[in-house]
Amino acid sequence: MKPDGRAAQAEPSDLDLVRGIKSGNEDAFEQMVERYHARVYSLSYGVLRNAEDAEEATQDTFLTLYRKIGTFDESKKFFSWFYRVALNQAYSRARRRRPTTAVPIEDYLPRFSSDGHIASPELPDWSASIEDGAIARELAGRAGEFMADLPPAYRDVIWMYDVEEMSSSDIAETLEISIPALKSRLHRARLYVRQRLAEISQAPAPEEVSR
Amino acid sequence: MSDLTCKKFILDCLIEFEDGTMAAEERALFQQHMELCPPCLRFLTSYRATGKTLKLLKPEEIPPDLARSVLAFVRARAGRKA
Repeated sequence: MKPDGRAAQAEPSDLDLVRGIKSGNEDAFEQMVERYHARVYSLSYGVLRNAEDAEEATQDTFLTLYRKIGTFDESKKFFSWFYRVALNQAYSRARRRRPTTAVPIEDYLPRFSSDGHIASPELPDWSASIEDGAIARELAGRAGEFMADLPPAYRDVIWMYDVEEMSSSDIAETLEISIPALKSRLHRARLYVRQRLAEISQAPAPEEVSR
Repeated sequence: MSDLTCKKFILDCLIEFEDGTMAAEERALFQQHMELCPPCLRFLTSYRATGKTLKLLKPEEIPPDLARSVLAFVRARAGRKA
């Protein structure tokens, strides 16, 4: 038995907290912040690639939650609504920071001959180099830059699936897309990042150039 | 089996080959294809390495005072007591 004589209480569900916030319960809002701040920060970081911007976007997202909670439809899952709020905040901040032109993803897909064989020029196999932690982190940093050039529809999917490791069903629900659409976008985004990483790995070392 | 090309494998089937949703018979066919097709095997290796690399992108640390700063930010703007 606990010192105060009360049995341990089950964690309130998201919906419990939503209802608490709607009725002005300060504690419910604090619990929601505690529960979601790290995930919102990480999602924002994926879009903004900068700690300060991600922190500010996280603050804006919770302010929007506080102000707009009345518009949340309680028949839906809270997290999917809230992640969309977070993505909208992050993208609007990103647009203010630097207007971007999304890369034409088709230019980075593998090419094939008419009989279906790989026709792209063979690039060095860089995959073994990620066994070295420092190289892997360097490549990850470059991959993050490449991902920033993707159209948001692709960037969101690859970030949520490969970086955040969210489930397909949670991502599909958040982005309001079908599972086949999710897989298609994820695959193309991975093909694009793979190709960009292969290209930066093919630059010859200086001594090879001078030979 | 004539329609089982590198193109079909890489563009249409690789993701299901990797996420485990491909039927066992089809998977066995692609496995067989890869044993005979070094470019596809290399492609698969680097596709997997791409996924592993991306996992390193998750921010290593969340700012330690983030929850507190979020609460202070919202309260200041929402006119709530601190």
